[in-house]
Amino acid sequence: MVRAWADSLIKAFYIAKKDAKVYYFKAPNFTYGLLIPVSLYLAFSMAGEISSKLIVAGLTSLVMLFGTTSIEAVAVVLEKQTGTFDRLLAAPISLFTIVLGKALAGFFFGLILAAVVLFPLAAVSGTIVMNPLLAVIAIAFSSMAFSALGIVASAYAKWVPEAQMLSNFLRFPMVFLSGTFTALEALPSQLQVVARFLPLTYSVEALRSSIAEPAVTYTYILDIVALTLFAIVLLALSTKILEKRIA
Amino acid sequence: MEIAIAVYDLTKQYGKILAVDNISFTVNQGEVFGFLGPNGAGKTTTIRMLTGLTRPTSGRVTVAEYDVVRESIKAKERVGVVPEVSNVYDEMSAWDNLVFAAQLYRVAKNEREERAKELLELFGLYERRADRAGNFSKGMKRRLTIAAALIHKPGILFLDEPTSGLDVQSSRMIRNLTKDLNKNGVTVFLTTHYIEEADQLCQRVAMINQGKIVAVDNPEKLKASVEKHQIIEVSFDQPQNLERKLADLNYPNEVTQVGDKFRLHVRNTSEAVPLIIDFARENGLKIVSINTLNPSLEDAFVEMTGLSPEVMATEKEQGKKVASLG
Repeated sequence: MVRAWADSLIKAFYIAKKDAKVYYFKAPNFTYGLLIPVSLYLAFSMAGEISSKLIVAGLTSLVMLFGTTSIEAVAVVLEKQTGTFDRLLAAPISLFTIVLGKALAGFFFGLILAAVVLFPLAAVSGTIVMNPLLAVIAIAFSSMAFSALGIVASAYAKWVPEAQMLSNFLRFPMVFLSGTFTALEALPSQLQVVARFLPLTYSVEALRSSIAEPAVTYTYILDIVALTLFAIVLLALSTKILEKRIA
Repeated sequence: MEIAIAVYDLTKQYGKILAVDNISFTVNQGEVFGFLGPNGAGKTTTIRMLTGLTRPTSGRVTVAEYDVVRESIKAKERVGVVPEVSNVYDEMSAWDNLVFAAQLYRVAKNEREERAKELLELFGLYERRADRAGNFSKGMKRRLTIAAALIHKPGILFLDEPTSGLDVQSSRMIRNLTKDLNKNGVTVFLTTHYIEEADQLCQRVAMINQGKIVAVDNPEKLKASVEKHQIIEVSFDQPQNLERKLADLNYPNEVTQVGDKFRLHVRNTSEAVPLIIDFARENGLKIVSINTLNPSLEDAFVEMTGLSPEVMATEKEQGKKVASLG
Protein backbone atom coordinates (compact mmCIF):
# COMPACT_ATOMS: atom_id res chain seq x y z
CA MET A 1 0.00 0.00 0.00
CA VAL A 2 2.72 2.47 1.05
CA ARG A 3 4.81 1.36 -1.90
CA ALA A 4 1.90 1.94 -4.28
CA TRP A 5 1.41 5.46 -2.89
CA ALA A 6 5.11 6.21 -3.15
CA ASP A 7 5.09 4.91 -6.72
CA SER A 8 2.12 7.16 -7.56
CA LEU A 9 3.82 10.19 -6.03
CA ILE A 10 6.99 9.57 -8.03
CA LYS A 11 4.98 9.28 -11.26
CA ALA A 12 3.06 12.45 -10.36
CA PHE A 13 6.40 14.19 -9.87
CA TYR A 14 7.58 13.04 -13.34
CA ILE A 15 4.39 14.43 -14.88
CA ALA A 16 4.91 17.71 -13.02
CA LYS A 17 8.51 17.89 -14.24
CA LYS A 18 7.44 17.26 -17.80
CA ASP A 19 4.70 19.91 -17.56
CA ALA A 20 7.16 22.41 -16.16
CA LYS A 21 9.46 21.75 -19.09
CA VAL A 22 6.72 21.85 -21.72
CA TYR A 23 4.27 24.46 -20.50
CA TYR A 24 5.31 26.46 -17.48
CA PHE A 25 8.69 28.03 -17.24
CA LYS A 26 8.42 30.27 -20.23
CA ALA A 27 8.61 34.05 -20.11
CA PRO A 28 5.00 34.75 -21.28
CA ASN A 29 3.56 32.68 -18.42
CA PHE A 30 5.47 34.66 -15.80
CA THR A 31 4.40 37.89 -17.44
CA TYR A 32 0.72 36.88 -17.48
CA GLY A 33 0.88 35.68 -13.88
CA LEU A 34 2.26 39.02 -12.77
CA LEU A 35 0.64 41.48 -15.16
CA ILE A 36 -3.04 41.01 -14.30
CA PRO A 37 -2.59 41.01 -10.48
CA VAL A 38 -0.40 44.12 -10.62
CA SER A 39 -2.97 45.85 -12.85
CA LEU A 40 -5.73 44.89 -10.43
CA TYR A 41 -3.69 46.20 -7.54
CA LEU A 42 -3.21 49.51 -9.34
CA ALA A 43 -6.95 49.72 -10.03
CA PHE A 44 -7.71 49.09 -6.35
CA SER A 45 -5.07 51.50 -5.10
CA MET A 46 -6.54 54.31 -7.20
CA ALA A 47 -9.79 53.94 -5.26
CA GLY A 48 -8.08 54.71 -1.96
CA GLU A 49 -5.01 54.19 0.17
CA ILE A 50 -4.19 50.57 0.99
CA SER A 51 -1.92 49.52 3.84
CA SER A 52 1.36 47.87 2.87
CA LYS A 53 0.43 44.67 4.77
CA LEU A 54 -2.75 44.34 2.72
CA ILE A 55 -0.79 44.94 -0.48
CA VAL A 56 1.85 42.32 0.27
CA ALA A 57 -0.67 39.64 1.30
CA GLY A 58 -3.23 40.49 -1.39
CA LEU A 59 -0.82 40.79 -4.27
CA THR A 60 1.09 37.62 -3.37
CA SER A 61 -2.16 35.63 -3.24
CA LEU A 62 -3.43 37.14 -6.48
CA VAL A 63 -0.20 36.43 -8.33
CA MET A 64 -0.44 32.79 -7.27
CA LEU A 65 -4.12 32.59 -8.21
CA PHE A 66 -3.63 34.06 -11.68
CA GLY A 67 -0.29 32.40 -12.37
CA THR A 68 -1.38 28.85 -11.49
CA THR A 69 -4.92 28.95 -12.88
CA SER A 70 -3.88 30.58 -16.17
CA ILE A 71 -1.52 27.86 -17.16
CA GLU A 72 -3.24 25.02 -15.31
CA ALA A 73 -6.47 25.75 -17.16
CA VAL A 74 -4.61 25.05 -20.38
CA ALA A 75 -2.30 22.20 -19.34
CA VAL A 76 -4.92 19.42 -19.29
CA VAL A 77 -7.18 20.59 -22.08
CA LEU A 78 -4.26 21.20 -24.43
CA GLU A 79 -3.04 17.65 -23.87
CA LYS A 80 -6.56 16.37 -24.53
CA GLN A 81 -6.66 18.34 -27.78
CA THR A 82 -3.25 17.21 -29.05
CA GLY A 83 -3.78 13.57 -28.03
CA THR A 84 -0.84 13.48 -25.61
CA PHE A 85 -3.28 12.99 -22.72
CA ASP A 86 -3.87 9.49 -24.12
CA ARG A 87 -0.17 8.81 -23.56
CA LEU A 88 -0.71 9.46 -19.84
CA LEU A 89 -3.96 7.48 -19.78
CA ALA A 90 -2.34 4.48 -21.48
CA ALA A 91 0.46 4.39 -18.91
CA PRO A 92 0.06 2.45 -15.63
CA ILE A 93 -1.04 5.51 -13.67
CA SER A 94 -4.33 6.25 -11.94
CA LEU A 95 -6.33 9.24 -13.11
CA PHE A 96 -5.88 10.85 -9.69
CA THR A 97 -2.10 10.56 -10.02
CA ILE A 98 -2.26 12.31 -13.41
CA VAL A 99 -4.36 15.10 -11.87
CA LEU A 100 -1.98 15.32 -8.92
CA GLY A 101 1.02 15.55 -11.25
CA LYS A 102 -0.64 18.35 -13.18
CA ALA A 103 -1.46 20.16 -9.92
CA LEU A 104 2.09 19.77 -8.64
CA ALA A 105 3.47 21.59 -11.68
CA GLY A 106 1.11 24.49 -10.97
CA PHE A 107 2.01 24.32 -7.30
CA PHE A 108 5.74 24.80 -7.95
CA PHE A 109 4.99 27.53 -10.45
CA GLY A 110 2.86 29.31 -7.84
CA LEU A 111 5.68 29.06 -5.27
CA ILE A 112 8.14 30.69 -7.64
CA LEU A 113 5.72 33.46 -8.58
CA ALA A 114 5.00 34.14 -4.89
CA ALA A 115 8.71 34.36 -4.13
CA VAL A 116 9.20 36.73 -7.06
CA VAL A 117 6.52 39.04 -5.63
CA LEU A 118 6.64 38.65 -1.85
CA PHE A 119 10.29 39.37 -1.06
CA PRO A 120 10.86 42.41 -3.30
CA LEU A 121 7.44 43.83 -2.42
CA ALA A 122 8.04 43.43 1.33
CA ALA A 123 11.48 45.05 0.98
CA VAL A 124 10.22 47.98 -1.10
CA SER A 125 7.19 48.67 1.09
CA GLY A 126 9.16 48.18 4.30
CA THR A 127 6.81 45.43 5.44
CA ILE A 128 8.24 43.06 8.02
CA VAL A 129 6.95 39.52 7.78
CA MET A 130 6.61 38.56 11.45
CA ASN A 131 6.68 34.81 10.82
CA PRO A 132 8.34 33.87 7.48
CA LEU A 133 7.80 30.14 8.09
CA LEU A 134 4.05 30.62 8.47
CA ALA A 135 4.10 32.77 5.32
CA VAL A 136 5.83 30.00 3.37
CA ILE A 137 3.31 27.43 4.65
CA ALA A 138 0.41 29.70 3.72
CA ILE A 139 1.91 30.22 0.24
CA ALA A 140 2.37 26.48 -0.27
CA PHE A 141 -1.19 25.57 0.70
CA SER A 142 -2.61 28.47 -1.31
CA SER A 143 -0.65 27.49 -4.38
CA MET A 144 -1.93 23.92 -4.21
CA ALA A 145 -5.56 25.01 -3.77
CA PHE A 146 -5.35 27.47 -6.70
CA SER A 147 -3.62 24.92 -8.89
CA ALA A 148 -6.40 22.41 -8.19
CA LEU A 149 -8.96 25.09 -9.07
CA GLY A 150 -7.29 25.59 -12.46
CA ILE A 151 -7.46 21.87 -13.15
CA VAL A 152 -11.21 21.78 -12.51
CA ALA A 153 -11.67 24.29 -15.35
CA SER A 154 -9.25 22.38 -17.57
CA ALA A 155 -10.84 19.00 -16.87
CA TYR A 156 -14.30 20.32 -17.66
CA ALA A 157 -13.40 22.20 -20.85
CA LYS A 158 -13.15 20.68 -24.30
CA TRP A 159 -11.15 23.52 -25.84
CA VAL A 160 -8.52 25.94 -24.60
CA PRO A 161 -10.71 29.07 -24.96
CA GLU A 162 -13.47 27.33 -22.97
CA ALA A 163 -10.96 26.55 -20.20
CA GLN A 164 -9.75 30.14 -20.13
CA MET A 165 -13.31 31.45 -19.99
CA LEU A 166 -14.20 29.11 -17.14
CA SER A 167 -11.05 30.05 -15.31
CA ASN A 168 -11.87 33.75 -15.60
CA PHE A 169 -15.42 33.05 -14.48
CA LEU A 170 -14.04 31.51 -11.30
CA ARG A 171 -11.22 33.88 -10.40
CA PHE A 172 -12.37 37.41 -11.27
CA PRO A 173 -15.38 37.43 -8.91
CA MET A 174 -13.03 36.01 -6.26
CA VAL A 175 -10.79 39.07 -6.49
CA PHE A 176 -13.68 41.30 -5.48
CA LEU A 177 -15.39 38.97 -3.04
CA SER A 178 -12.41 37.75 -1.03
CA GLY A 179 -11.39 41.04 0.54
CA THR A 180 -8.10 40.98 -1.32
CA PHE A 181 -7.15 44.61 -0.80
CA THR A 182 -9.68 45.48 1.89
CA ALA A 183 -10.51 44.05 5.28
CA LEU A 184 -13.07 41.26 4.90
CA GLU A 185 -15.18 42.93 7.58
CA ALA A 186 -15.59 45.92 5.30
CA LEU A 187 -17.70 43.82 2.91
CA PRO A 188 -21.51 43.59 3.34
CA SER A 189 -22.47 40.71 5.66
CA GLN A 190 -24.01 38.60 2.82
CA LEU A 191 -20.81 38.88 0.80
CA GLN A 192 -18.78 37.91 3.86
CA VAL A 193 -20.70 34.61 3.85
CA VAL A 194 -19.97 34.14 0.14
CA ALA A 195 -16.30 34.92 0.78
CA ARG A 196 -16.10 31.93 3.11
CA PHE A 197 -16.68 29.62 0.12
CA LEU A 198 -13.72 31.03 -1.82
CA PRO A 199 -10.12 29.76 -1.44
CA LEU A 200 -8.64 33.21 -2.09
CA THR A 201 -10.24 34.46 1.16
CA TYR A 202 -8.29 31.92 3.23
CA SER A 203 -5.07 32.49 1.33
CA VAL A 204 -5.16 36.26 1.90
CA GLU A 205 -6.19 35.81 5.53
CA ALA A 206 -3.40 33.30 6.26
CA LEU A 207 -0.79 35.51 4.64
CA ARG A 208 -1.99 38.59 6.52
CA SER A 209 -1.84 36.60 9.72
CA SER A 210 1.74 35.45 9.11
CA ILE A 211 2.80 39.00 8.26
CA ALA A 212 1.13 40.55 11.32
CA GLU A 213 1.46 37.83 13.98
CA PRO A 214 4.66 36.21 15.22
CA ALA A 215 2.87 33.05 16.42
CA VAL A 216 0.29 30.66 15.03
CA THR A 217 -3.23 31.93 15.56
CA TYR A 218 -6.48 29.99 15.63
CA THR A 219 -7.60 31.80 12.45
CA TYR A 220 -4.38 30.85 10.70
CA ILE A 221 -4.90 27.17 11.48
CA LEU A 222 -8.48 27.34 10.20
CA ASP A 223 -7.25 29.04 7.04
CA ILE A 224 -4.70 26.27 6.36
CA VAL A 225 -7.31 23.58 7.06
CA ALA A 226 -9.73 25.32 4.67
CA LEU A 227 -7.05 25.57 1.93
CA THR A 228 -6.21 21.88 2.41
CA LEU A 229 -9.87 20.94 2.08
CA PHE A 230 -10.20 23.09 -1.04
CA ALA A 231 -7.17 21.36 -2.59
CA ILE A 232 -8.45 17.84 -1.78
CA VAL A 233 -12.03 18.49 -2.89
CA LEU A 234 -10.98 20.25 -6.11
CA LEU A 235 -8.48 17.52 -7.03
CA ALA A 236 -11.13 14.84 -6.40
CA LEU A 237 -13.65 16.85 -8.41
CA SER A 238 -11.18 17.20 -11.32
CA THR A 239 -10.60 13.44 -11.28
CA LYS A 240 -14.35 12.77 -11.34
CA ILE A 241 -14.92 15.24 -14.18
CA LEU A 242 -12.10 13.72 -16.22
CA GLU A 243 -13.42 10.22 -15.54
CA LYS A 244 -16.78 11.23 -17.00
CA ARG A 245 -15.19 13.12 -19.90
CA ILE A 246 -13.14 10.15 -21.09
CA ALA A 247 -15.77 7.45 -20.44
CA MET B 1 -2.35 -22.03 -26.05
CA GLU B 2 -2.24 -19.11 -23.64
CA ILE B 3 -4.62 -16.23 -24.17
CA ALA B 4 -3.09 -12.72 -24.29
CA ILE B 5 -6.30 -10.77 -24.81
CA ALA B 6 -9.83 -11.96 -24.11
CA VAL B 7 -12.90 -9.92 -25.04
CA TYR B 8 -16.32 -10.90 -23.74
CA ASP B 9 -19.58 -9.33 -24.99
CA LEU B 10 -17.96 -5.91 -25.36
CA THR B 11 -20.28 -3.02 -26.15
CA LYS B 12 -19.74 0.72 -26.41
CA GLN B 13 -22.58 3.14 -26.83
CA TYR B 14 -22.17 6.91 -27.31
CA GLY B 15 -25.63 8.33 -26.71
CA LYS B 16 -27.79 6.75 -29.39
CA ILE B 17 -24.83 5.55 -31.44
CA LEU B 18 -23.82 1.95 -30.96
CA ALA B 19 -20.11 2.06 -31.83
CA VAL B 20 -19.27 -1.51 -30.80
CA ASP B 21 -21.99 -4.10 -30.60
CA ASN B 22 -21.48 -7.05 -28.26
CA ILE B 23 -18.22 -8.40 -29.68
CA SER B 24 -16.26 -11.37 -28.33
CA PHE B 25 -12.93 -12.84 -29.41
CA THR B 26 -9.57 -13.95 -28.04
CA VAL B 27 -6.00 -13.22 -29.11
CA ASN B 28 -3.44 -15.94 -28.49
CA GLN B 29 -0.11 -15.18 -26.91
CA GLY B 30 2.61 -14.63 -29.52
CA GLU B 31 0.37 -14.01 -32.51
CA VAL B 32 -0.17 -10.99 -34.74
CA PHE B 33 -3.90 -10.46 -34.67
CA GLY B 34 -5.43 -8.15 -37.24
CA PHE B 35 -8.58 -6.14 -36.68
CA LEU B 36 -9.96 -5.19 -40.08
CA GLY B 37 -12.70 -2.87 -41.03
CA PRO B 38 -13.56 0.22 -43.02
CA ASN B 39 -13.27 3.66 -41.46
CA GLY B 40 -15.89 4.11 -38.74
CA ALA B 41 -16.43 0.37 -38.26
CA GLY B 42 -15.51 0.49 -34.56
CA LYS B 43 -11.82 -0.45 -34.71
CA THR B 44 -10.45 2.51 -32.77
CA THR B 45 -13.25 2.39 -30.18
CA THR B 46 -12.45 -1.28 -29.62
CA ILE B 47 -8.71 -0.69 -29.25
CA ARG B 48 -9.41 2.17 -26.82
CA MET B 49 -11.49 -0.15 -24.66
CA LEU B 50 -8.87 -2.88 -24.85
CA THR B 51 -6.16 -0.48 -23.66
CA GLY B 52 -8.19 1.12 -20.89
CA LEU B 53 -8.49 4.52 -22.59
CA THR B 54 -12.28 4.25 -22.78
CA ARG B 55 -14.64 2.42 -20.47
CA PRO B 56 -16.92 -0.16 -22.07
CA THR B 57 -20.67 0.35 -21.74
CA SER B 58 -20.89 -3.36 -21.01
CA GLY B 59 -18.79 -6.48 -21.35
CA ARG B 60 -15.35 -7.37 -20.14
CA VAL B 61 -11.75 -7.34 -21.39
CA THR B 62 -8.74 -9.10 -19.91
CA VAL B 63 -5.21 -8.32 -21.03
CA ALA B 64 -2.42 -10.60 -19.80
CA GLU B 65 -5.12 -12.09 -17.54
CA TYR B 66 -5.83 -8.75 -15.84
CA ASP B 67 -9.23 -7.10 -16.07
CA VAL B 68 -8.69 -3.83 -17.94
CA VAL B 69 -11.24 -1.92 -15.85
CA ARG B 70 -10.74 -3.40 -12.38
CA GLU B 71 -6.98 -4.05 -12.55
CA SER B 72 -6.09 -1.35 -15.05
CA ILE B 73 -2.64 -0.49 -13.64
CA LYS B 74 -1.43 -4.11 -13.82
CA ALA B 75 -2.92 -4.55 -17.30
CA LYS B 76 -1.35 -1.31 -18.56
CA GLU B 77 2.08 -2.25 -17.22
CA ARG B 78 2.10 -5.17 -19.67
CA VAL B 79 1.08 -3.39 -22.86
CA GLY B 80 2.41 -0.79 -25.25
CA VAL B 81 -0.06 1.42 -27.09
CA VAL B 82 0.46 3.16 -30.43
CA PRO B 83 -2.61 5.28 -31.17
CA GLU B 84 -3.88 6.16 -34.63
CA VAL B 85 -2.49 9.69 -34.36
CA SER B 86 1.11 10.01 -33.16
CA ASN B 87 1.07 11.55 -29.71
CA VAL B 88 4.61 12.49 -28.79
CA TYR B 89 5.28 15.82 -27.10
CA ASP B 90 6.24 18.26 -29.86
CA GLU B 91 7.99 20.59 -27.41
CA MET B 92 10.29 17.85 -26.12
CA SER B 93 13.27 16.26 -27.83
CA ALA B 94 13.12 12.68 -29.12
CA TRP B 95 15.36 11.65 -26.22
CA ASP B 96 13.24 13.40 -23.58
CA ASN B 97 10.08 11.87 -25.02
CA LEU B 98 11.48 8.39 -24.55
CA VAL B 99 12.91 9.10 -21.11
CA PHE B 100 9.55 10.50 -19.99
CA ALA B 101 7.74 7.41 -21.32
CA ALA B 102 10.22 5.22 -19.42
CA GLN B 103 9.63 7.22 -16.23
CA LEU B 104 5.88 6.62 -16.46
CA TYR B 105 6.56 2.88 -16.53
CA ARG B 106 9.16 3.17 -13.74
CA VAL B 107 11.98 1.78 -15.85
CA ALA B 108 15.22 2.00 -13.79
CA LYS B 109 17.38 5.05 -14.60
CA ASN B 110 20.39 3.25 -16.12
CA GLU B 111 18.14 0.88 -18.08
CA ARG B 112 16.02 3.85 -19.19
CA GLU B 113 18.90 5.54 -20.97
CA GLU B 114 20.21 2.30 -22.45
CA ARG B 115 16.77 1.43 -23.77
CA ALA B 116 16.17 4.93 -25.19
CA LYS B 117 19.49 4.75 -27.07
CA GLU B 118 18.75 1.25 -28.34
CA LEU B 119 15.28 2.24 -29.62
CA LEU B 120 16.39 5.49 -31.20
CA GLU B 121 19.08 3.58 -33.07
CA LEU B 122 16.62 0.87 -34.10
CA PHE B 123 14.23 3.47 -35.51
CA GLY B 124 16.94 5.51 -37.19
CA LEU B 125 16.41 8.53 -34.95
CA TYR B 126 19.53 8.51 -32.79
CA GLU B 127 21.28 11.23 -34.79
CA ARG B 128 18.21 13.45 -34.25
CA ARG B 129 17.79 12.61 -30.55
CA ALA B 130 18.31 16.19 -29.36
CA ASP B 131 15.84 17.69 -31.87
CA ARG B 132 12.34 18.70 -30.86
CA ALA B 133 9.77 16.13 -31.99
CA GLY B 134 7.74 19.02 -33.39
CA ASN B 135 10.37 19.38 -36.13
CA PHE B 136 10.04 15.74 -37.19
CA SER B 137 8.25 14.47 -40.30
CA LYS B 138 5.07 12.43 -39.93
CA GLY B 139 6.98 9.18 -40.45
CA MET B 140 9.63 10.11 -37.86
CA LYS B 141 6.95 11.04 -35.32
CA ARG B 142 5.26 7.71 -35.96
CA ARG B 143 8.52 5.86 -35.36
CA LEU B 144 9.11 7.84 -32.17
CA THR B 145 5.57 7.03 -30.97
CA ILE B 146 6.21 3.32 -31.52
CA ALA B 147 9.60 3.58 -29.80
CA ALA B 148 7.90 5.19 -26.78
CA ALA B 149 5.37 2.35 -26.67
CA LEU B 150 8.21 -0.19 -26.58
CA ILE B 151 10.35 1.52 -23.93
CA HIS B 152 9.24 -0.86 -21.13
CA LYS B 153 9.49 -4.03 -23.27
CA PRO B 154 5.77 -4.83 -23.27
CA GLY B 155 4.56 -8.37 -23.95
CA ILE B 156 1.56 -7.07 -25.88
CA LEU B 157 1.63 -4.24 -28.41
CA PHE B 158 -1.47 -2.44 -29.69
CA LEU B 159 -0.95 -0.78 -33.05
CA ASP B 160 -3.81 1.38 -34.31
CA GLU B 161 -3.43 2.00 -38.07
CA PRO B 162 0.37 2.08 -37.72
CA THR B 163 1.20 2.83 -41.36
CA SER B 164 -1.73 5.07 -42.24
CA GLY B 165 -0.55 8.11 -44.14
CA LEU B 166 3.14 7.20 -44.03
CA ASP B 167 5.80 7.21 -46.73
CA VAL B 168 6.95 3.92 -48.24
CA GLN B 169 10.17 3.74 -46.22
CA SER B 170 8.49 4.32 -42.85
CA SER B 171 5.65 1.91 -43.67
CA ARG B 172 8.09 -0.83 -44.64
CA MET B 173 10.19 -0.23 -41.54
CA ILE B 174 7.13 -0.51 -39.29
CA ARG B 175 5.93 -3.69 -40.97
CA ASN B 176 9.36 -5.30 -40.68
CA LEU B 177 9.58 -4.22 -37.07
CA THR B 178 6.17 -5.74 -36.35
CA LYS B 179 7.42 -9.05 -37.78
CA ASP B 180 10.65 -8.86 -35.74
CA LEU B 181 8.81 -8.05 -32.51
CA ASN B 182 6.49 -10.96 -33.10
CA LYS B 183 9.45 -13.29 -33.71
CA ASN B 184 10.72 -12.22 -30.29
CA GLY B 185 7.45 -13.28 -28.68
CA VAL B 186 5.51 -10.00 -28.58
CA THR B 187 1.78 -10.36 -29.17
CA VAL B 188 0.61 -7.71 -31.64
CA PHE B 189 -2.94 -6.42 -31.94
CA LEU B 190 -3.12 -4.51 -35.19
CA THR B 191 -6.00 -2.48 -36.51
CA THR B 192 -5.81 -1.50 -40.16
CA HIS B 193 -7.93 -0.78 -43.15
CA TYR B 194 -5.11 -1.87 -45.46
CA ILE B 195 -6.22 -5.42 -46.10
CA GLU B 196 -2.98 -6.42 -47.82
CA GLU B 197 -1.08 -5.27 -44.75
CA ALA B 198 -3.13 -7.57 -42.54
CA ASP B 199 -2.66 -10.38 -45.04
CA GLN B 200 1.12 -9.94 -44.91
CA LEU B 201 1.44 -9.64 -41.15
CA CYS B 202 -1.37 -11.41 -39.34
CA GLN B 203 -1.73 -15.00 -38.28
CA ARG B 204 -5.42 -14.39 -37.59
CA VAL B 205 -7.79 -11.57 -38.39
CA ALA B 206 -11.15 -10.38 -37.15
CA MET B 207 -13.37 -8.47 -39.54
CA ILE B 208 -15.57 -5.78 -38.07
CA ASN B 209 -18.29 -3.81 -39.78
CA GLN B 210 -20.79 -1.42 -38.19
CA GLY B 211 -19.59 -2.41 -34.73
CA LYS B 212 -20.12 -6.13 -35.22
CA ILE B 213 -17.58 -8.87 -35.82
CA VAL B 214 -18.43 -10.75 -38.99
CA ALA B 215 -15.55 -13.26 -39.04
CA VAL B 216 -12.49 -14.35 -37.05
CA ASP B 217 -10.06 -16.76 -38.68
CA ASN B 218 -6.72 -17.25 -40.45
CA PRO B 219 -6.41 -15.15 -43.63
CA GLU B 220 -6.01 -18.25 -45.78
CA LYS B 221 -9.10 -19.91 -44.34
CA LEU B 222 -11.09 -16.73 -44.91
CA LYS B 223 -9.91 -16.62 -48.52
CA ALA B 224 -10.78 -20.28 -48.97
CA SER B 225 -14.28 -19.63 -47.69
CA VAL B 226 -14.99 -17.47 -50.76
CA GLU B 227 -13.41 -19.83 -53.25
CA LYS B 228 -16.84 -20.74 -54.56
CA HIS B 229 -16.31 -17.70 -56.75
CA GLN B 230 -13.04 -18.29 -58.57
CA ILE B 231 -11.74 -15.87 -61.11
CA ILE B 232 -10.26 -16.52 -64.54
CA GLU B 233 -8.40 -13.65 -66.16
CA VAL B 234 -8.08 -13.93 -69.91
CA SER B 235 -6.84 -11.62 -72.68
CA PHE B 236 -7.40 -12.00 -76.41
CA ASP B 237 -5.56 -10.56 -79.39
CA GLN B 238 -8.68 -8.56 -80.32
CA PRO B 239 -10.29 -7.44 -77.07
CA GLN B 240 -12.96 -5.17 -78.64
CA ASN B 241 -16.62 -5.71 -77.77
CA LEU B 242 -16.11 -9.06 -76.13
CA GLU B 243 -17.53 -8.36 -72.67
CA ARG B 244 -21.13 -8.89 -73.76
CA LYS B 245 -20.30 -11.98 -75.78
CA LEU B 246 -18.45 -13.48 -72.83
CA ALA B 247 -21.35 -12.65 -70.56
CA ASP B 248 -23.61 -14.56 -72.95
CA LEU B 249 -21.64 -17.68 -72.20
CA ASN B 250 -23.69 -19.67 -69.75
CA TYR B 251 -20.87 -20.32 -67.39
CA PRO B 252 -19.60 -17.08 -65.77
CA ASN B 253 -21.52 -15.46 -62.93
CA GLU B 254 -20.01 -12.11 -63.80
CA VAL B 255 -17.67 -10.63 -66.42
CA THR B 256 -15.69 -7.44 -65.99
CA GLN B 257 -13.14 -5.82 -68.28
CA VAL B 258 -9.91 -4.70 -66.60
CA GLY B 259 -7.67 -2.96 -69.13
CA ASP B 260 -7.22 -5.38 -72.04
CA LYS B 261 -8.17 -8.35 -69.87
CA PHE B 262 -11.48 -9.91 -68.91
CA ARG B 263 -12.24 -11.31 -65.47
CA LEU B 264 -14.75 -14.11 -65.40
CA HIS B 265 -16.14 -15.05 -62.01
CA VAL B 266 -16.85 -18.77 -62.17
CA ARG B 267 -17.73 -21.62 -59.84
CA ASN B 268 -15.25 -24.12 -61.20
CA THR B 269 -12.18 -23.14 -63.22
CA SER B 270 -11.50 -26.60 -64.64
CA GLU B 271 -14.94 -26.65 -66.25
CA ALA B 272 -14.80 -23.04 -67.39
CA VAL B 273 -11.39 -23.01 -69.10
CA PRO B 274 -12.39 -25.40 -71.96
CA LEU B 275 -15.46 -23.26 -72.58
CA ILE B 276 -13.30 -20.14 -72.92
CA ILE B 277 -10.95 -21.94 -75.34
CA ASP B 278 -13.96 -23.03 -77.41
CA PHE B 279 -15.25 -19.44 -77.33
CA ALA B 280 -11.93 -18.12 -78.68
CA ARG B 281 -11.86 -20.74 -81.46
CA GLU B 282 -15.47 -20.05 -82.51
CA ASN B 283 -14.84 -16.29 -82.66
CA GLY B 284 -11.47 -16.53 -84.44
CA LEU B 285 -9.59 -15.08 -81.47
CA LYS B 286 -6.16 -15.91 -80.13
CA ILE B 287 -5.73 -16.20 -76.38
CA VAL B 288 -2.78 -13.99 -75.37
CA SER B 289 -2.85 -15.09 -71.71
CA ILE B 290 -5.11 -16.98 -69.35
CA ASN B 291 -4.68 -17.12 -65.55
CA THR B 292 -6.69 -18.19 -62.56
CA LEU B 293 -6.77 -15.68 -59.70
CA ASN B 294 -7.21 -16.85 -56.15
CA PRO B 295 -9.60 -14.83 -53.99
CA SER B 296 -7.79 -12.22 -51.94
CA LEU B 297 -8.45 -11.33 -48.32
CA GLU B 298 -10.19 -8.28 -49.72
CA ASP B 299 -12.58 -10.55 -51.63
CA ALA B 300 -13.26 -12.37 -48.38
CA PHE B 301 -13.83 -9.07 -46.62
CA VAL B 302 -16.23 -7.86 -49.30
CA GLU B 303 -18.08 -11.16 -49.20
CA MET B 304 -18.39 -11.17 -45.42
CA THR B 305 -19.14 -7.55 -44.69
CA GLY B 306 -21.46 -7.08 -47.61
CA LEU B 307 -19.61 -3.88 -48.46
CA SER B 308 -19.66 -3.10 -52.14
CA PRO B 309 -16.37 -3.46 -54.00
CA GLU B 310 -16.58 0.28 -54.73
CA VAL B 311 -16.45 1.11 -51.02
CA MET B 312 -13.44 -1.12 -50.57
CA ALA B 313 -11.85 0.33 -53.67
CA THR B 314 -12.28 3.80 -52.23
CA GLU B 315 -10.71 2.68 -48.96
CA LYS B 316 -7.91 1.08 -50.88
CA GLU B 317 -7.32 4.09 -53.09
CA GLN B 318 -7.10 6.32 -50.01
CA GLY B 319 -4.52 3.92 -48.72
CA LYS B 320 -2.58 3.76 -51.95
CA LYS B 321 -2.35 7.52 -52.11
CA VAL B 322 -0.44 7.60 -48.88
CA ALA B 323 1.49 4.40 -48.75
CA SER B 324 2.63 1.77 -51.10
CA LEU B 325 2.49 -1.71 -49.61
CA GLY B 326 5.85 -3.06 -50.56
